[in-house]
Amino acid sequence: MQRTVARSRRRSVLRAGAPLLLIGLLGGCLLPPEPVTEVGEDVFNLYVIVLILAGIVFVGVEGFILYAIVRYRRKPGDETLPEQIHGNTAVEVIWTLIPTVIVLILFGFSMATLGDVEARSENPGVTVQVDGFQWNWTFRYEDGPVVQAQGGEPPVLTVPVGEPVRLVLNSLDVNHSFYVPQFLIKRDLIDLGENGRDNELEFTITEAGTYAGQCAEFCGERHADMVFVVEAMDRAAYDEYIAALASGETPPATGGGDCATTIEIKANNTQFDIDSFDVPADTDFCITFENQENMPHNVAIYEGDEAIFTGEFLNEAGEITYNVPALPAGEYRFNCDAHSQAMVGDVTVTQ
Amino acid sequence: MATTTLEPRAGTYRRSWVLDWLTTVDHKKIGILYIANSFLFFFAAGILALVIRTELAVPGMQFLDQATYNQAFTMHGTIMLFLFIIPALSGFGNYIVPLQLGAPDMAFPRINALSFWLLPLGGILIFSGYLFGGAAAEGWTGYSPLTSDQYSPGVGTDLWIIGLTLVGMASILGAVNFIATIFKMRAPGMTLFRMPIFVWTVLVTAVLILLATPVLAAGLIALFIDRNYGGSFFDPSVGGNPVLWQHIFWFFGHPEVYIVILPAMGVVSEILPVFSRKPLFGYRAFVFATIAIGLLSFSVWAHHMFTTGSVFLPFFSFMTALIAIPTGIKMFNWLATLWRGKLMLTTPMLFALGFLSMFLIGGISGVMLASPPVDFHVQDTYFVVAHLHYVFFGGSVFGVFAATYYWFPKMFGRKLNEPLGKIHFWIHFIGFNLAFFPMHQLGLDGMPRRISDYSPDAGWNLLNLVSTVGAFMIAVSIVPLLINVIATFINGEPAGDDPWEGNTLEWATTSPPPPHNFDRLPPIHSERPLFFLTHGHGHAAARPADLEENDEDDVERRGGAV
Repeated sequence: MQRTVARSRRRSVLRAGAPLLLIGLLGGCLLPPEPVTEVGEDVFNLYVIVLILAGIVFVGVEGFILYAIVRYRRKPGDETLPEQIHGNTAVEVIWTLIPTVIVLILFGFSMATLGDVEARSENPGVTVQVDGFQWNWTFRYEDGPVVQAQGGEPPVLTVPVGEPVRLVLNSLDVNHSFYVPQFLIKRDLIDLGENGRDNELEFTITEAGTYAGQCAEFCGERHADMVFVVEAMDRAAYDEYIAALASGETPPATGGGDCATTIEIKANNTQFDIDSFDVPADTDFCITFENQENMPHNVAIYEGDEAIFTGEFLNEAGEITYNVPALPAGEYRFNCDAHSQAMVGDVTVTQ
Repeated sequence: MATTTLEPRAGTYRRSWVLDWLTTVDHKKIGILYIANSFLFFFAAGILALVIRTELAVPGMQFLDQATYNQAFTMHGTIMLFLFIIPALSGFGNYIVPLQLGAPDMAFPRINALSFWLLPLGGILIFSGYLFGGAAAEGWTGYSPLTSDQYSPGVGTDLWIIGLTLVGMASILGAVNFIATIFKMRAPGMTLFRMPIFVWTVLVTAVLILLATPVLAAGLIALFIDRNYGGSFFDPSVGGNPVLWQHIFWFFGHPEVYIVILPAMGVVSEILPVFSRKPLFGYRAFVFATIAIGLLSFSVWAHHMFTTGSVFLPFFSFMTALIAIPTGIKMFNWLATLWRGKLMLTTPMLFALGFLSMFLIGGISGVMLASPPVDFHVQDTYFVVAHLHYVFFGGSVFGVFAATYYWFPKMFGRKLNEPLGKIHFWIHFIGFNLAFFPMHQLGLDGMPRRISDYSPDAGWNLLNLVSTVGAFMIAVSIVPLLINVIATFINGEPAGDDPWEGNTLEWATTSPPPPHNFDRLPPIHSERPLFFLTHGHGHAAARPADLEENDEDDVERRGGAV
């Protein structure tokens, strides 16, 4: 219900600002992703207001500069001086007030939204301690289960939809930052020692789905690899997942499904161990990829220049299983994206 | 005050050309050394920028490994800020401020030479990490605890600390020198409110440097102690605090933003009136706005730390938003200076107008970032990278180029070629926007800064490619500039004393000026002494006979002038 109100408010704000956005804001729409949390909605609405104010200032000032260049350009041969205007107290007072009013409006809206963003529920549905370390994440559920990255896949933080989720953000070494773009929020993980208080982040996800996140605070050599996934599902599925985790069973596979066909590929000395493989058409299959050296490698499948499937990189020795979606029959190529000349082979998909 | 007059000792003995430049204490030669040195570092850091953009052009690691990439962006940021923009603007300050004040030199010529020579030394130390197992790779902000000896054991980080400390010391010495020069060396009649705006901005900048840079130096020394002698300033396991580093760094770092932008604003405030043929609108308001920005800059540092959860958000958000007011006043003053003017679109004017239009975007995105909830989303993403480049590059660097085209004729007696200058401007302007505007959207889409690679499925491919194309356009735009400078030295159009019909005293002497700067000074009744010399108060032509002899008595009086 609340969400619907927020949605329609956003739509009306958008409608009012649409012409300005169209005129002023080149290069795309300059909007953040569609938010998937309640707080994200608030931030999105605030952002739209800020963007409209920004658009007005942008169009006004840039417009005047262009106008002045055209209108007041000196005519060739005109050696006379224009009127020497040194200032005008009245207009200077007025244009001191203009930015004052704008920033006060902005500050007021910001503080109102900040209250929503920082609000903490008394009894969150789920509390998870997030351990950030160079260069991965561990998610520790309050009831005991622990999720870690496996086989080069990003770790998955599974949470229920529609209830507050609280994260306690704990760094095991340098500073990190927990960031999911579609939540429109991030918060740093800082090790403040024994007496320090860990940062907390709370959100209520409104739509089931899979959301990519990654570390946003530069944390050393492999900062770029410090990715994770948030998997939001309804409460029943969540409970099932946690029960499975707690009992030590393998959690249900997320996406991809079973593999009727599994191809094994190994990489060493900047070479793949095979130069071709066959798979059946229109059927999902798996690639078990083992990187045997400390060089970044992956397996990607191409049709001509178009990437059909891009496997995640293993930046050092390790193993990963790729779930590859079904391909129509035909000839394809596979290669390592870091060494596309040396590490390449053929894929034949047959009916 | 016993002012030293620097009599040229020409004819007594001959020094080699090289020795002359190495040992000079002439503010003009030191200014040129500053600028030349800055451009060398600009090219080095620019190549690093191309390396970064090439790696990011398409997803997947291509030709760098992650460690090398991290070194590249750390060196790029450090060198661009500390060894290009700040020293380049200091160089113009060195050359122009004494001339605009009608002074024969800086107050402390030898300190001036020292503060210059510390720069290449510091810069070489910072770069020399590459020779000893890798340069610093923690980002130009050097956040603790990543910079600790545990997580960054390489000697490159120590060299970075030592080099930066030397560069900071150079800045502090230069600031002392500027303040002394501006307060004690003004020509008779040059009251504070008749000083050119550029001098005002250099003065406020110098005060900011004097208050802020020692804080950075202290932080760097504390970090060095932590790393090498078992200190615990920033180590939480023994009672230190890593957030303390962020406070120290940004207590310096935010005034530093204004250290970088204020002199560029001063340059633009010189150029717009000259090529609009009008005085700067609201001179006094502009001065007070400059001072207000300087004061406010010390109360906003923690807006860089909104996501740490360790700062009081409303205060820092409010103070940050307040800076928009004096900045807005300046923008309106510039626009009103154009209003009803007679604009001449010379190359320096194009770069000054480019400054207005690009700095505006950086200013707007800055106000957006002042809102904590918005900042929570875009902090540490490419939105911030876009913002800072619109301020530093669209603002300060456009100012540096404007100053280069504007004052080159004074420095070398020849005008840079206008068509080549305009080619430079347009390629530069378009390339700049291609390189940095898409970064706003990348940041809003959630692409973090300082990542060496990104997923091909994240939807960031096209904009990254566009940005890389823009970066190479900027590089290409430097080619006409280099051709222009070389061609002008070989066969440039003689400039004469006052090629632009300038307003300020540097145009009252020869191009280039003699070692003692002025043989005679015009009377100073306003911030535009040259304008009134040319046009008179009622715009009637004034005769050269109005020029006063710059005799020995003047030098004495200058010391006491208020």
